[in-house]
Amino acid sequence: MTRLPLAAVFAAFFLALAWFVSLRQAVLFLVGIGMGGVLAGARFGFTTGWRRLIEQRDPSGVMAQLVLLAIAAAVCMPLLAEYPTDLSAALGPPSFSLLIGAFVFGATMQIADGCGSGTLYKAGMGVPLNMAILPVFAIGSFMGSAHLEQWLKLGAVAPVSLVQEFGAGEAFGLTLLGLVVFGLAARLWAGKGASWFNRRLLIGAILLAALAMLNLLVAGQPWGVVYGFGLWAAKLATAAGVFDPTANAFWSQSVNLNNLSQSVFLDVTSITNIGILAGALLVAAGQAAAQRKPLTSQQWLVGIIAGFLLGYSSRLAFGCNIGAMVSGISTGSLHGWIWVPLAFCGSLIGVRIRRHYAF
Amino acid sequence: MKKNLSSLTLVFWVALIAFFAWDWAVSKPVNIRLEPPLIAAGSGQAPTGGHCASTF
Repeated sequence: MTRLPLAAVFAAFFLALAWFVSLRQAVLFLVGIGMGGVLAGARFGFTTGWRRLIEQRDPSGVMAQLVLLAIAAAVCMPLLAEYPTDLSAALGPPSFSLLIGAFVFGATMQIADGCGSGTLYKAGMGVPLNMAILPVFAIGSFMGSAHLEQWLKLGAVAPVSLVQEFGAGEAFGLTLLGLVVFGLAARLWAGKGASWFNRRLLIGAILLAALAMLNLLVAGQPWGVVYGFGLWAAKLATAAGVFDPTANAFWSQSVNLNNLSQSVFLDVTSITNIGILAGALLVAAGQAAAQRKPLTSQQWLVGIIAGFLLGYSSRLAFGCNIGAMVSGISTGSLHGWIWVPLAFCGSLIGVRIRRHYAF
Repeated sequence: MKKNLSSLTLVFWVALIAFFAWDWAVSKPVNIRLEPPLIAAGSGQAPTGGHCASTF
């Protein structure tokens, strides 16, 4: 498939969104295309970056992620301080739910070879396992959100915003300090011989930071992925009569009930998710078909189970690598800082399980 | 044709488009009179969307 017909289809969809939905959603679709294009074009995999650090002692992927976080924080924190009522941060509560969710997410993203954004862009590029995982990821995300009340009963404190606590300047200073500590830890882990940076990933990091900032400016909320998946599954479950959102603590909230009743094209996260799929498809359309070794039945089964757990745990953790790590840390949420080490510990287990099943 | 579409890819995109078409058909109509400002920053309106980090 060539890119031109696809670009024409996406241009038509952009115009339809602008005409029938809203110009904001149409612009967010373009932002999503940019995200998908960068993720797929630069092969900017959060999961792969962590795995390369763990298995090959290559810190370049993690360093690019830290640069992305630093640039996004440098822009988003002052914006949040300047427009405290118009823009919101990705604030999740530190909780047992977060600890368990982040650990399981970190493990399963290695098995499924994709976090939230990774699953999206790889599905868009036509990677079979990621395409198959997307629906179960959505079901998991929906079920995790539906069970969130029970998980939070294990213990939680109110979300902590560094920007509100310390102001944008100090919050950014603390964030930068934390990122330097992460960077030094990664460097220490990798050893002296490894190179720090990869040009392709660095360019990807800068572009993704710019797109994340655009997402915040236009939508008023940070970049997210998994809420959209959960919403899609919740809509189907509600329509099928197997789920009553009014009887559920999470879905009975006015914002969620409203999202269930209106088109997904009005949901910010859904529209950027669609854009990411489209952007990745555009990139893949210009490339030769990749030769992949077919998966065994056991690998399919393990991958699909991991995909479901990926979705479920992402809601317990209040986001994936995007919602909790990129958006959480860059907008000054304490939960992002708890998420990263727990997810990394999970990844240490996940890469071993991945090796065991010979993915 | 640089790339042949696999049957799984075709099923994936058809299912996705079918879902969006179904959703558009069953959801309440979009009221374009309530269209939000293009840029949220500086609009004076609080964000109203759902997010992965939100609880209840």
